[in-house]
Amino acid sequence: MTLRTAKYMIKEGVINLHKNKLMSIASISIVTASLLVFGIFLMISLNISSNMRMFGEQPEIVVFCQAELNEEQAEAIETEIKSNDVISSVIMVTKAEYFESVKEMFAENEGLISDLDESFLPVKFNLMLKDFDQCEDVTNALEEIDGVWDVQYPRKVVDFVQSITYWLRFISILLIIVLMVIAIFIMENTIKLTMNARKEEIDIMKYIGATDWFIRWPFIVEGIIIGFISAVIAFLLVAYGYSTIEHRFNEDIIHIGVEFVRLTKIDDISFLLVLLFLMMGTLVGSLGSYLSIRKYLEA
Amino acid sequence: MVEFKGVTKKYANGTIALRDINLTVNEGGFVFVVGPSGSGKSTLIKLMLREEVASEGTTFVDGNDLLAMEKDEIPYFRRKLGVVFQDFRLLPKKTVYENVAFALEITESLPKEVRRKVPMALGLVGLSRKANSYPNQLSGGEQQRVSLARAIVNDPVLLLADEPTGNLDPETSWEIIKLLESINLKGTTVIVATHDNSVVDRMQKRVIEIGSGRIIRDQQKGFYNNDSSNS
Repeated sequence: MTLRTAKYMIKEGVINLHKNKLMSIASISIVTASLLVFGIFLMISLNISSNMRMFGEQPEIVVFCQAELNEEQAEAIETEIKSNDVISSVIMVTKAEYFESVKEMFAENEGLISDLDESFLPVKFNLMLKDFDQCEDVTNALEEIDGVWDVQYPRKVVDFVQSITYWLRFISILLIIVLMVIAIFIMENTIKLTMNARKEEIDIMKYIGATDWFIRWPFIVEGIIIGFISAVIAFLLVAYGYSTIEHRFNEDIIHIGVEFVRLTKIDDISFLLVLLFLMMGTLVGSLGSYLSIRKYLEA
Repeated sequence: MVEFKGVTKKYANGTIALRDINLTVNEGGFVFVVGPSGSGKSTLIKLMLREEVASEGTTFVDGNDLLAMEKDEIPYFRRKLGVVFQDFRLLPKKTVYENVAFALEITESLPKEVRRKVPMALGLVGLSRKANSYPNQLSGGEQQRVSLARAIVNDPVLLLADEPTGNLDPETSWEIIKLLESINLKGTTVIVATHDNSVVDRMQKRVIEIGSGRIIRDQQKGFYNNDSSNS
């Protein structure tokens, strides 16, 4: 397609959009509504999973070195641990520090450990991860390091967080697909309503030798514009609505004294939101147009 | 230019529109296809346009085997044809100029070519001064002339006209037919399906008469009715 033809297609698409104002407004409303539902669900799901992650970050992975290693030898292991990108922080607990905490544990029964000194205890490291989903991989990698005796992490918590995240993703994707199919279907039928009026135009174009794609493109451009406008409207509504809620919620929750539950700030997710809305809007719009004109081109 | 052999057209509902049609139209020919409504004239035109496909027989237009033609080749084939209908089929929201230019735009012609060819075509049909009018501001005859200009702007090898004078008064009809003749004189093959006996009789061109789906007469310098030659 030449640039001139592309310009022609875009011009025709815009003209059609303008000529069929009522249909355009109806389509924009429908696509906006589906994007809104999608947006609301997306915000809920994002917040649940981000709070899950905060929750999921609390458990630490504990790496125990072999007891015979001294602190200098343990430092080599620390360097190796730090080289793993997923690990966000490493705190070394020396034999002496570890012994102190053991002593605290046995504060009421000091006699039990009175004969012992720190040398029987291993050096250990408390680790935090950036992404808890990778807990299993990291643990496996850590176990491979020379001089590491054992790696422990709270398996149940991790499994719980992971299964919730998994289902949340699964349901989100399912819902997105269902919503998109419905939106495409409605859009297709809305455009079809005006198609009879345009049928004659399509016939004329066919008689004078227009290719199917030449006939199709202006309709698709029209669908893309409808999708684009819907995405912008839906984004503004969701962003405004959400930031109001987020503001109130985060203020109130501080008053209550609950610190670990937080709504994600709109600024952190607005880019993702815009991107998803534009992608979905234009996809729904163009696919709806494509399907609605298909029947008329087959004849 | 057109070569049909043993052509039968049966529609999905069982109606047989054409039976065993054998027909050759040479390059540069001018042919009237006559017969009452429902005799199969329009079906014949539709077969030539590759809007319909023959159920039996072979159909060649300008060397193209229409039966073997792929769907995506049809647009390119139609660009070599010009077509005119009884109801003009102009785009109501485009001006006269734009309607004619449209036929070039869909073939991705250069703007330079559009600016050269459109005024020429409009000049040929005598509508240069109405270039900026909209179809609803024109008379029937003028609208048909716009549709003629659109049909010839691509320099077609074959011009198909299905009842081009059906909606026009006798005087305007004659003007349109004379225009078709002048287009024919420039080398374009012209096939006109019509039941307008006066123009057929005045022109004395080749006449193919169709009745009940069969060719019942094929006559050089013919009249609308076989016995008109005696009157």
